[in-house]
Amino acid sequence: MLRFSLRLGSCVLLCAATLAALPAREVPGAAKAHAKPAGDPVALTLLIDELIVKQWELQKTTAAPRADDAEFMRRVYLDLTGRIPRYDQARDFLDDKDADKRRKLVNQLLDSPNFVTHFTNTWRALLLPQTNDPQAQALSPQLEVWLRKRFKANTPYNEMVRDILTADPYGRPMAVAPGEQPTGQEPSPTAFYQANENKPENLAAATSRLFLGVKVECAQCHDHPFAKWTRTQFWEYAAFFSGLQANQPNPNGMAQGYDPKRRQIEIPNAKTKTVVTAKFLDGIDPKWQDADVTRKVLADWATAPQNPYFAKATANRIWAHFFGIGLVEPVDEFSEENPPSHPELLDALAKGLIENNFDIKYLMRAIAGSRAYQLTSETTHASQDDVRLFARMPIKGMTPEQFFDSLAVATRYKGEFAGQQNNAFSSARAEFLSRFANPVDKKTEHQTSILQALAIMNGNFSGEATNPDSDAVAFMFGKRVSDEFSIRLIRCNMLGAVLDFPLTDTRQKLDTLYLATLSRRLRDDETEKMVKYVEGGGKTRDPRKAMADVYWALLNCSEFVLNH
Amino acid sequence: MSTPSWRSQLSRRDWLKLASAGAIGSSMSGWLETLAADTANNPQRKRACILLWMSGGPSQTDTFDLKPGHANGGPFKEIQTTAPGLRISEHLPKIAKHGNKMAVIRSMNTKEGEHGRATALLRTGYMPTGSIQYPPIGALVAKELGSTDAPLPNYVSIAPYRTFSPAAYGSGFLGPSYAPLIIGDMADPERPNGQQRDPNAYEQSLKVKDIDLQPGVTEAQADGRMDLLQEMQRDFVKKHPGVASASHQSAYDRAVRLMKTTAGKAFNLEEETESLRDAYGRNLFGQGCLLARRLVERGVPFVEVTLAGLNNNMGGLGWDTHADNFNLVRRLSGALDAGWGTLMEDLKDRGLLDSTLIVWMGEFGRTPKITPQNGRDHFPTAWSTVLAGGGIKGGQAVGNTGKSGENVEERPVPVTDFLATVCTALGIDPLKFNNSNVGRPIRIVEKGAEAIKEIVES
Repeated sequence: MLRFSLRLGSCVLLCAATLAALPAREVPGAAKAHAKPAGDPVALTLLIDELIVKQWELQKTTAAPRADDAEFMRRVYLDLTGRIPRYDQARDFLDDKDADKRRKLVNQLLDSPNFVTHFTNTWRALLLPQTNDPQAQALSPQLEVWLRKRFKANTPYNEMVRDILTADPYGRPMAVAPGEQPTGQEPSPTAFYQANENKPENLAAATSRLFLGVKVECAQCHDHPFAKWTRTQFWEYAAFFSGLQANQPNPNGMAQGYDPKRRQIEIPNAKTKTVVTAKFLDGIDPKWQDADVTRKVLADWATAPQNPYFAKATANRIWAHFFGIGLVEPVDEFSEENPPSHPELLDALAKGLIENNFDIKYLMRAIAGSRAYQLTSETTHASQDDVRLFARMPIKGMTPEQFFDSLAVATRYKGEFAGQQNNAFSSARAEFLSRFANPVDKKTEHQTSILQALAIMNGNFSGEATNPDSDAVAFMFGKRVSDEFSIRLIRCNMLGAVLDFPLTDTRQKLDTLYLATLSRRLRDDETEKMVKYVEGGGKTRDPRKAMADVYWALLNCSEFVLNH
Repeated sequence: MSTPSWRSQLSRRDWLKLASAGAIGSSMSGWLETLAADTANNPQRKRACILLWMSGGPSQTDTFDLKPGHANGGPFKEIQTTAPGLRISEHLPKIAKHGNKMAVIRSMNTKEGEHGRATALLRTGYMPTGSIQYPPIGALVAKELGSTDAPLPNYVSIAPYRTFSPAAYGSGFLGPSYAPLIIGDMADPERPNGQQRDPNAYEQSLKVKDIDLQPGVTEAQADGRMDLLQEMQRDFVKKHPGVASASHQSAYDRAVRLMKTTAGKAFNLEEETESLRDAYGRNLFGQGCLLARRLVERGVPFVEVTLAGLNNNMGGLGWDTHADNFNLVRRLSGALDAGWGTLMEDLKDRGLLDSTLIVWMGEFGRTPKITPQNGRDHFPTAWSTVLAGGGIKGGQAVGNTGKSGENVEERPVPVTDFLATVCTALGIDPLKFNNSNVGRPIRIVEKGAEAIKEIVES
């Protein structure tokens, strides 16, 4: 480990000292239209509804009914802020008589700090898939800070992508005043390059998949009989990154040979030596000028409104964020063989993005307001089973962050979940996140493991949260906490507060626990049974323990664990 | 558009099958029911695999491919094993007694010399890439040989050091049901590195996390809670059929089975005699080997035990002997010999050796040349692995690295051929496809891989 940190430190200094910087970014006029405010999303919402209903009619589908307020609220909290509402937020929303309260809630959540956190987490996970590169892991906090700033400022998405495509690949600080010493911790998307080992072929695969929604990487080694992309096309695209020097085992060699203007690459293991020049994926040759920085030319093309892939891929990704499944699915496999379920709708969403300066919140407002998004997830008719008709809301699994943060909200956990950094194994939160990681990234086919079940059933976290007499010694998740301050905080957990709150009857106490966990009130058909269970004291004949049993079951049940 | 992809259809069918395998809530009463089958004497018994993982990259020149009389050789002497002509290090005397059951592969030839990437390569058979989540061999074997309704998980990883390659200790695109149950994890935040341990503490660190009820919760209360949980979510599951709710049901069912059947007792090392526990060695690796036997005995198809250091003071890459190689390797060999040697003996005594494949390997070997620091550096060019027990024609060495050990002179074995050999010895077709996370099926081992026929029993 010692060797590693030395290596990282010396690398940053070395790079800063020896490299020529990419020229300062020039934003073309078209992308700079900050001034123009986003339009009213209602028109787009109506268009979404019209096009979705058209398919239902064509396919003779009986759509599910509208979700009730509680179901909608929980879903939109999870989708926009990455956590369930607090019990008081849930109660206030349910009690609100305003007919326009759903729209207002969406707007309120889009402006909340948790929106920034959730989308930072979401994009960090996309940009840095599980990586073996310790350097990329070490740079991940920098990337998070960088993303956070952009989501906070609601930076137009095309600008954000342009910044990633043209970022400094070697971890030099982005903006340091003259004479100032670089700290190595300036926010930057460098980790994305490190995670791809600074290799042109890896970056070609990752950027085309993430930003353009096309998977060209299968063509890396040879032409595929059924695929659209040829091996030559793959390497022509990879040539945009040819100026980078792949990470070398020897740090002294890392930055050598970096040439931001290089635009040619040799196809490895070709029968005869073949060198190709950078070419856009739509087959058009860039109009090169001598001074052009290669990745900037790529960024200009990729993020332009008229780019054939970018706006659709972006719109599709955002749609998939809300429904767990894209109009094109998988979201990164746009091709003639994999057409969108609703072509007109995809075009309309892309157009909406372009006309509103790639403001992703505009699109989110339009989608969150749509009839499809506000349907219940209950199956009410067999014709809803085709998830691509969006005739009911698909069930989505939670990300580890969503689950941990929701558990924290439901139990009033005040431990170390505020920090958003994900240094592996460095904290109880990281341990939790690693246990709840779901490697198969298909939200609509979420799976739970035995260890995950055991952790919620018997782990210290839920153990402490469901202990009605929690005092003396307090536990964090997997970790004993003995300082007075933490104990005092934990003592005041949700269950303790509910049990000891004066002038409430069993039904009211249960209501609060249901609001805190499932974000809904006890239903009439549940009330009698649950009140009887608690007042009878369950198996222990102790009403306090029986209340803890109910709370335990609430935290373990699929209605809590899933986003529905 | 009304046809979901074949991929999701497959997994949906799998899950429905899985969900129906055990109706959750059906065994809420009766804690610690005994397991019906005695797996060791079951004629239906499938093969199992125990992987002994040498974290950091062990020196082949000082273990299984000695170079006596050459400058590269170092101070260690060779000893004869029970197989004529097969000679190994003098510091592995217990293992040498089982030479006739072992095949040493002396011509491993791999392409990666960095710990994290090499670990991923050796464990998954593929170089790590950004998007494809390759599963490690443990998860792949668990899928082929495990059963979905077994009381114990099908892949158990004991004391791994995951920091440099966490993904190689997951289940990749096979999904969480094949993820290892990880115990005695070096990276466990509860146990800071370098902490001195009570020699009797290992039985605690080798228990399954959270398998016991929370303190103060009685079995009766736990039953009440499970009933309540069933009651509470019955309506939800009925109204929301599908993979997510079925998988949640299944995970709870299996977790409860682990808690309530005697299967969970596999982790109670204190049930073994003191003398046997001493023989395995009172360290994490030795006790881990004993646990591996107990798990295999109870039908777990894949168990791995990591030897990452001694007393937790080698930083998780114990075999990474860049300096002071000979002292370190001698000490590590002591733990290895006690753990592995006793494991061979114990499996034989219980009639399990012929159905249990034992694999010894690390992420690469070490330079035959001795450095000025009296160490050896990373060396993927020519190094050794060992296969022993079930499915293996023992008593032989494959390949040859000549007098100096610096190059493979005969029968180079790439990672793919090595893993194909492991699969074949376990009765698994190495070229079988699995569905992956990138929309195309991926083989267990890459096309073109061939098992080393001369060491696999037909």
